[in-house]
Amino acid sequence: MLLPAPRILAAELLKVRKRWLPYVLFLVMVIGAAAHIWLLGYANWANENSAFDAFFRNETLRTFVLPHALPALLQSGQFWGSMLVGILTASVVGTEYSWGTARQALLRGQTRSEYLTLKLIGLVMVASVGLLAALGIGILFSLMASALVGEEVGGSISFGAAILMVLRTGYTIIPYGLLAFALTTVSRSTTLGVAGSVIFVVLEAIMIAVLSGIGTAWSETARAFLPSHNVAAILSANRIEGGEFFSLALRGQLLPVSLPDPAVAALVLALYCLVFLAISYAVFQRRDLQ
Amino acid sequence: MATADPDVVLRTVGLSKRYRRLLAVQDLSLEVRRGRVYGFLGPNGAGKTTTISIILGLIAPSGGHVEMHGLDTRTHLSEALHRTGAILEGQAYYPDLTAYDNLRVWAALSESVTAARIDEVLELVGLRDRARDKMRTYSQGMKQRLLLAGSLLHDPELIVLDEPTNGLDPAGMREFRNLIRELAKTGKTVFVSSHLLGEVEQMCDDVGIVKEGRLLTEESVSALRRRGEALELRVTDVERAVQVLEALDWVAGVTRADGRLVVDAPLERAADLSRALAEQHIYLHELRRREGSLEEFFLEVTGDAPAGA
Repeated sequence: MLLPAPRILAAELLKVRKRWLPYVLFLVMVIGAAAHIWLLGYANWANENSAFDAFFRNETLRTFVLPHALPALLQSGQFWGSMLVGILTASVVGTEYSWGTARQALLRGQTRSEYLTLKLIGLVMVASVGLLAALGIGILFSLMASALVGEEVGGSISFGAAILMVLRTGYTIIPYGLLAFALTTVSRSTTLGVAGSVIFVVLEAIMIAVLSGIGTAWSETARAFLPSHNVAAILSANRIEGGEFFSLALRGQLLPVSLPDPAVAALVLALYCLVFLAISYAVFQRRDLQ
Repeated sequence: MATADPDVVLRTVGLSKRYRRLLAVQDLSLEVRRGRVYGFLGPNGAGKTTTISIILGLIAPSGGHVEMHGLDTRTHLSEALHRTGAILEGQAYYPDLTAYDNLRVWAALSESVTAARIDEVLELVGLRDRARDKMRTYSQGMKQRLLLAGSLLHDPELIVLDEPTNGLDPAGMREFRNLIRELAKTGKTVFVSSHLLGEVEQMCDDVGIVKEGRLLTEESVSALRRRGEALELRVTDVERAVQVLEALDWVAGVTRADGRLVVDAPLERAADLSRALAEQHIYLHELRRREGSLEEFFLEVTGDAPAGA
């Protein structure tokens, strides 16, 4: 029997809305967007003593003036969003264990797969609203900074292309959210879920650097299977106009030509998602809950 | 396979649960009949919570199965749970939410529960005035009452309660017992676990005694009381009275207890007993009917000292 899903989703949202953590995480995202536009972008550009030549000054402009600011904002949002969505997921799932409320839901006839699925849908909804709101505030900051600068950077982007960029970026956050979901479901602990997903992000960055440094065939193959390498490939499609870079943000990173095809990268991330989901459902389905 | 007897609301058949070397529940079969309050009595660690968790589908049994509302829970768990309310030991609420919002969250799990029903159950457990306060401000007794309200939201036929009075003060325990009795009067079936003999005796119609994961016996509380019935008396000469009474062929036994004599004899022979003693110039100070207690029965069955008589 399928339970009344809209009512349960509304209840999921009520639970999250009444907690302080989502608001703190949202604030961190807004601070990140502000730091990107005002510190990394505008403050750098406005520094009269800057040793930047005209090319770099123009590049700096692209980090905070629309439309180029959009992919730049999305890229930094992807990094912070991955970690913060992981923290939100681990907290929401883990506290249901520690408060004993996961049992309570199952006692009312919700099946285990229904429970996990509705929990996931609720999380996707909350995370999407939070990330989009933070992006909206980032765009608002960008418009304000652009007005202060009063310079054009050229380039244009259609509404459809902008939406596609947002969707691409959102897609790259999902594996990290599901990683936290799987870790918390398996460990039944918010702490382990948060720590595990944050450590994974950090370790992965170190591994990417090490594997890139080694530069052999096997190290490149190994790197190709890491999520963040594929994330970079997908985000590389978030470009306005031609050229290899959309902003200074990609300067220190791999050139798009050395990244896998975005479609292939999307498949690799989908595989990660499937593995994390399979682990979560398989463990929760068989677990004794006492 | 479903149970054939419509009067049986809950049945476990050969239930067992093994954790590596520990056999927490062993071949446990019990039956709870409609409209009765069934006390699942046993000391701490006897396997009560494990059994209840198996019944409610939270733990997979190593063997045996459960039938609820005539449905085999191996195949119809969700359906059976929709007709069941339960409170398990330990916290099971959202501390950041108000009592009312906690009930809203649980209400979402059943299509039939309306806002009016939430108010109704809050009224029933006496929490309507505090419904807008956060759960973290509640006393233990209030939390238990709120959990009971949550378990009643969808108007279940069967209510399963695991040690519901744990952590309550005596007044809270009495209040909770009264609530359970009130529910039983409305035709609900209640399955309640406890390690407190007095509580089970006052609250339940039937009792099942469990020890080391094994169900030792099932009996109605009234039958238990009848089983231990005797005549209790105080007399002018205890020594001679014992000799006289032991000589009567309808007296099964005489024991002394704090200067009194407890005579195992049919209650309707009280007048004969009085006459037999008077004929020997032994006179009564007091003669009264003595009921059997669950404590005696528990001791007889388990051979243990009761935990909370």
